[in-house]
Amino acid sequence: MGTQIIAQETKGILAKVKTLIAGNRIEEAWTALKACAKPDDDFSLQHRYFMLFNKMPHDCLGLLPVRVAFLASSTVDHFIEAFKFWMAIEGYFAQIFNSTFNTLEQAAADADGALYAFKPDFIWIFTGCRDLNLAVYPGDSAVLVREKLEQCVERFTRLWQCVRQNSFSIILQNNADAPQIRPLGNFEGQVSWGGTNLYRQFNVALGAAAAAGVVVLDLDHLASEYGKARWFDERYWYHSKHAFTLDASGFVAHQAACTIRACKGQAKKALVLDLDNTLWGGVIGDDGLNGLRLGHGTEGEAYVDFQRYILSLKNRGVILAICSKNEQENARLPFIKHPDMRIKLDDLAVFQANWNNKADNIREIARILNIGLDALVFVDDNPAERELIRRVLPMVAVPEMPQDPAEYIRALDCHKYFEMAAFSLEDAGRSSMYRENAQRTMLQQQSTNLDDYLQALNMQAVIHAFDDFYLPRIAQLINKSNQFHLTTTRYSEAQIRGIMKSPEYVCRYFKLKDRFGDNGLICVLILKKMAVGILAVDTWVMSCRVLGRGMEEFVQNEIVKIARDLGLSMVEGYYLPTKKNGLVKELYQKLGYELAEETATRSRWNLAILKNSVLHKTFIKTVPAY
Amino acid sequence: MALMRDEINRRLEKVFQDVFDDDRIKLVDTMNAGDIDEWDSLMHISLVVAVEKEFHVRLNAAEVGNLKNVGAMLDLLVRKAT
Repeated sequence: MGTQIIAQETKGILAKVKTLIAGNRIEEAWTALKACAKPDDDFSLQHRYFMLFNKMPHDCLGLLPVRVAFLASSTVDHFIEAFKFWMAIEGYFAQIFNSTFNTLEQAAADADGALYAFKPDFIWIFTGCRDLNLAVYPGDSAVLVREKLEQCVERFTRLWQCVRQNSFSIILQNNADAPQIRPLGNFEGQVSWGGTNLYRQFNVALGAAAAAGVVVLDLDHLASEYGKARWFDERYWYHSKHAFTLDASGFVAHQAACTIRACKGQAKKALVLDLDNTLWGGVIGDDGLNGLRLGHGTEGEAYVDFQRYILSLKNRGVILAICSKNEQENARLPFIKHPDMRIKLDDLAVFQANWNNKADNIREIARILNIGLDALVFVDDNPAERELIRRVLPMVAVPEMPQDPAEYIRALDCHKYFEMAAFSLEDAGRSSMYRENAQRTMLQQQSTNLDDYLQALNMQAVIHAFDDFYLPRIAQLINKSNQFHLTTTRYSEAQIRGIMKSPEYVCRYFKLKDRFGDNGLICVLILKKMAVGILAVDTWVMSCRVLGRGMEEFVQNEIVKIARDLGLSMVEGYYLPTKKNGLVKELYQKLGYELAEETATRSRWNLAILKNSVLHKTFIKTVPAY
Repeated sequence: MALMRDEINRRLEKVFQDVFDDDRIKLVDTMNAGDIDEWDSLMHISLVVAVEKEFHVRLNAAEVGNLKNVGAMLDLLVRKAT
């Protein structure tokens, strides 16, 4: 049922793509198609993706041409459709030569033949389990088995040498997808002459034999990951010599396209990571070191494993950078003090923790590392941040992250961003090299088309006087928040109830919703009517998750309106510095207040209220309820 | 039975339109590969795979090749489709 609903949704998107193409809105069509296509969508969908892609004028898409020749022992024509499509997704326009079915040796040997005349960048020797003629019998000695396997591998090494004599193409070589069917059952995995073990040994030997310029495509892994019971579809082998199910075409094509990207040195190079709720559960600035979910508990273990996964990327040469909305000191604390942090400060090449928008920070990271934005992958649990980067920096890869940290690794891994085609010891040391080079100027403000982004977020806010229903949340926000809290006032629920009822006070809470969902009650305001026409901001506390969306200005506008309605002539704000609220030190200044008084423990800010006071520009719409 | 055949015909027509990416295709029983330019042996397989998906049927290896025209497909689907 679930898949059918998804299929319906996909069909709707495809119809839209078709309309966009008809209207010659190619870029939009391509963006929509790219966003909807998944590697494991079935063949009928892959076919339709290809048909739509094929209708687009390809020169609009900015694809790099790559010439790929197939030497195949099975029918690959249908697979090639999916392959061309997934190559395009990875940024390549694949020009294809398909050698006559099952003429591997002849085509490779023919120096003047069509294969080499095509001048391929890649020659893909597309074979599988049926290409191994292993005449091994039960009880054969280990020595005999090894000899027979060597002969098998030799067929391929000879083929590679033959290609190499005629061409500098990179050779992609499938290994063998060990069959699902095991005549000798489970025992095949125990003895060296057992069928399953023969394929395993062959694949190990094939990888070991691969010289420079030969890249083994691990078909056996793909078949396992896809599920061998689904992978093998004998009907289409008997009918038309398809080696595996057509439904796996997108899945294999995606892997191949990512491998080709790695061969061309265009795999992603750096991983840019958010901190709160990405590397650990909780918000360091609010929950403190001991409040983080990291190390034990269900989520805590998941975050540790996610960090381990990231470290294995780092150990093979992926550069790590942090991009977090946080105070520097807070952000660094877990790396130094938390016993369950696997990632240490030394593992990181760049550490951007500040309150600037993340697009600027990511630009800065790319600049410091001196790598292209298109070499970056950005991981953040916050959908609004992801959407910002997708809009402002579309060349940065931004994987969709699930709610549950237990699924973070899968969500990142499935994109195959960091494929590799070779490994050198230099790779292992790369990240420290970048780290050393990266000690340079930080901070560079540059506004992007942030306004477009804010507009597109379609934010709606509810402003309401305190009520009993939300009292617990109001108390929680006032008492647990540290960062966006100008006066760090702490009030019990009973106290708040008193304030609510007192005519001296005006209290408001704010709820914010955007196109990604409901952020809930994220801001609390307690205003006090003072003598001589002054409205004092007693408490202004906000959840940091909505920073950078103009919520501050929106709330300020509300303060002004309230003051005006009450006929008051001045708003007075206070900032009481603490270790944790440096974030709002300049808030009043930014909002146009004037400094009236400043001591070590408190600064006081004034804003005159005029009849025609100009309100701040805001992209947040006030609604009575949602 | 005739009604069911009409219903299958309607769904099959949509499959043809999707596979060949041509909304103008209208099915008649005698229609075969000669009537649609793109209907070659490769497209035939794409078509059969799409038919299997749409009607939740598994055609046996021989049937895949034997569906020479629309009428034959309909006959088979009337027997097998769910």
